[in-house]
Amino acid sequence: MDHQARETVGYSFSESTASGVKQHGFYPYTDNGGSTLGITGSDFAILAGDTRSTSGYNINSRMVPKVFKIGGDDETGEGANIVLSVVGFAADGTALKERLDTVVRMYKYQHGKPMTVSACAQRLSTILYQKRFFPYYVHAILAGLDEEGKGALYSYDPVGSYEREQCRAAGAAASLIMPFLDNQVNFKNQYIPGSGEGHALAAKKAEPLPLETVKGLVRDAFTSAVERHIEVGDNLQMVIITKDGIQEVYHPLKKD
Amino acid sequence: MADRYSFSLTTFSPSGKLVQIEYALNAVNQGVTALGIKATNGIVLATEKKSSSPLIDPPSLSKISLITPDIGMVYAGMGPDYRVLVDKARKVSHTGYKRIYNEYPPTRILVQDVARVVQEATQSGGVRPYGVSLLVAGWDEGVEPEAADMKKDGGDSPAKPAGKTGGILKGGPSLYQVDPSGSYYPWKATAIGKHATSAKTFLEKRYTEGLELEDAIHIALLTLKETIEGEMNGDTIEIGIVGPPADHLLGYEGVEGAQGPRFRKLTKEQIEDYLTNL
Amino acid sequence: MGSPFDINGGACVAMVGKDCVAIACDLRLGMQALTISNNFPKIFNFAPSTYLGLTGLATDVNTVSDLFRYKVNMYRLREERHISPQTLANLVSSSLYEKRFGPFFVSPVLAGINQTTGKPFICGFDSIGCIDFAKDFIVSGTASDQLFGTCEGLWEPDLGAEDLFETISQALLSAVDRDALSGWGAQVYIIEKDKVTQRLLKGRQD
Repeated sequence: MDHQARETVGYSFSESTASGVKQHGFYPYTDNGGSTLGITGSDFAILAGDTRSTSGYNINSRMVPKVFKIGGDDETGEGANIVLSVVGFAADGTALKERLDTVVRMYKYQHGKPMTVSACAQRLSTILYQKRFFPYYVHAILAGLDEEGKGALYSYDPVGSYEREQCRAAGAAASLIMPFLDNQVNFKNQYIPGSGEGHALAAKKAEPLPLETVKGLVRDAFTSAVERHIEVGDNLQMVIITKDGIQEVYHPLKKD
Repeated sequence: MADRYSFSLTTFSPSGKLVQIEYALNAVNQGVTALGIKATNGIVLATEKKSSSPLIDPPSLSKISLITPDIGMVYAGMGPDYRVLVDKARKVSHTGYKRIYNEYPPTRILVQDVARVVQEATQSGGVRPYGVSLLVAGWDEGVEPEAADMKKDGGDSPAKPAGKTGGILKGGPSLYQVDPSGSYYPWKATAIGKHATSAKTFLEKRYTEGLELEDAIHIALLTLKETIEGEMNGDTIEIGIVGPPADHLLGYEGVEGAQGPRFRKLTKEQIEDYLTNL
Repeated sequence: MGSPFDINGGACVAMVGKDCVAIACDLRLGMQALTISNNFPKIFNFAPSTYLGLTGLATDVNTVSDLFRYKVNMYRLREERHISPQTLANLVSSSLYEKRFGPFFVSPVLAGINQTTGKPFICGFDSIGCIDFAKDFIVSGTASDQLFGTCEGLWEPDLGAEDLFETISQALLSAVDRDALSGWGAQVYIIEKDKVTQRLLKGRQD
């Protein structure tokens, strides 16, 4: 992590080259930092991300949202039932979101019905894989409600490998947030007290959490990440998908 | 390779004595008397400051020295040797302790380090023993003797470490004497130098358990008075005390946890105040 | 080639509670992706209620723990007392800085209770001895990112000994499960004023 930062920051003096010949290179990617996180419940899904955009040790902006409504109205995003979060290289993120948005809207025009989340998830994988050798440098998370009305969440690697999950953290602070989520959402390493002696102890089963609990976990996860990761901060954008529509809220995070 | 042939000057006599060390002790026993008294809440070191000429500027002469903020030292014997030992003691308190543990050495550890320096001069090639005896007075953080005794009476602590006289397990004051041989002894009160014997006899009479620092200073001056050759005033007497932390000597204030030095020398005026009350 | 710090893998964490401290480590010893042993504790005892955890290059973990065993034994003989956590911290710091230009590849974590003051004390170090005096928790090892996340999320002030045990165990197990180089069981020490409890956690064996 810090290796990347050191490379992009550079020193105030120029490195001497033995030959005296200047080497030019084209670096098509930048790491814009930030983190995203998605958790699903029985009848909702939450996608969240911080709003900081960085390059190296610089903060480009304190208000660049990473979570987007897909397939809704141009301006307001109204009518959308799918949400996408992208973290990594912000320009690729924007491009990917624009492309998926167009695809989902075209689908609605051509089929006369909104695209299902599972279909959109498969389509997003295809889009990413099409650029297998010049990838969109992003970790994407797609969220919505499935055909049964349950929360659905799909996470992707930059080249389109994807999986439906209960929860996923991505981006700069993913390594900090993910084990916390394992523990608090999927109850990993938790056992039922008194259910047995030693190895016979029964593991606590993961079950969908209520919305308010999940909101709390998301905020805790981000306040924790902000504390220990310099690329995360400023504001928390939380997008909540229920059968009643999509609700978007912002919470302040530390700005240091 | 000259050192190959420079044998130690301190060699055993057939009777098993190291006469060089005895000569060094003779030098000490001709030196100006110095004494130390341990109290419950501190220690006093005192000596006479003899000047051979009325032209000497007394304040420029100093026989009692600060080694660490909580440890001070006085000597009897050869002044130049003492100054070398003060330098070495100050140095070893840093190289051998503070730079390793970021805290100053406890009194016994410093005494051992100084004693090692002194001993090495009795066994090394090309050197002579130090012609001084030292009195080292210091205060150690930790469980103070009274508190430790109370704990013993309580009897609810099974693993009470065994304390010994001046032992390191005890916090509080300790007073040591270091001789030219490198031997060191813990004392409640003692004297070194020319009139050490009579001074010690006097101290034996006046010393009581549970002495307070102010009493100890008083006794120190009375003892000095018995043996002093010249006049007794703020210029001819030197006193160093180990007492409560002197925060006014820090040079700054408002830093949490900062503690002033416990060792300090009394000013001419302070000494004269004590003398008028004698 | 990778950094010497992540060849063998391993994780360690210390936490402060109310009148108690806890220190825990995983048990894995590996060579890159290959696991060599699942019984390689990284926490060493240096005085009653004073423990030092060492993560990093395993050979240095052994060397450094032996070095401090020697130094602390010498201290105890010379001073006729146990070394306090604070004094040990400064000893570790100065000893590591001595090797400023050829360091031991270890990230030590120290936890203990000062027997004179009765106060809990934890701190961490980089490989050349810079001390991190933390009031809450210290993490180190290949799972340090994960540990930062779990500790920051789970830890709260003034936890009692049992709650602190639960917190540090959950923080460590969840963290090492997201690090391929750490895990394979864990060891936890709960240190109270005059009682130390050592527990062995099975954890995931992969």
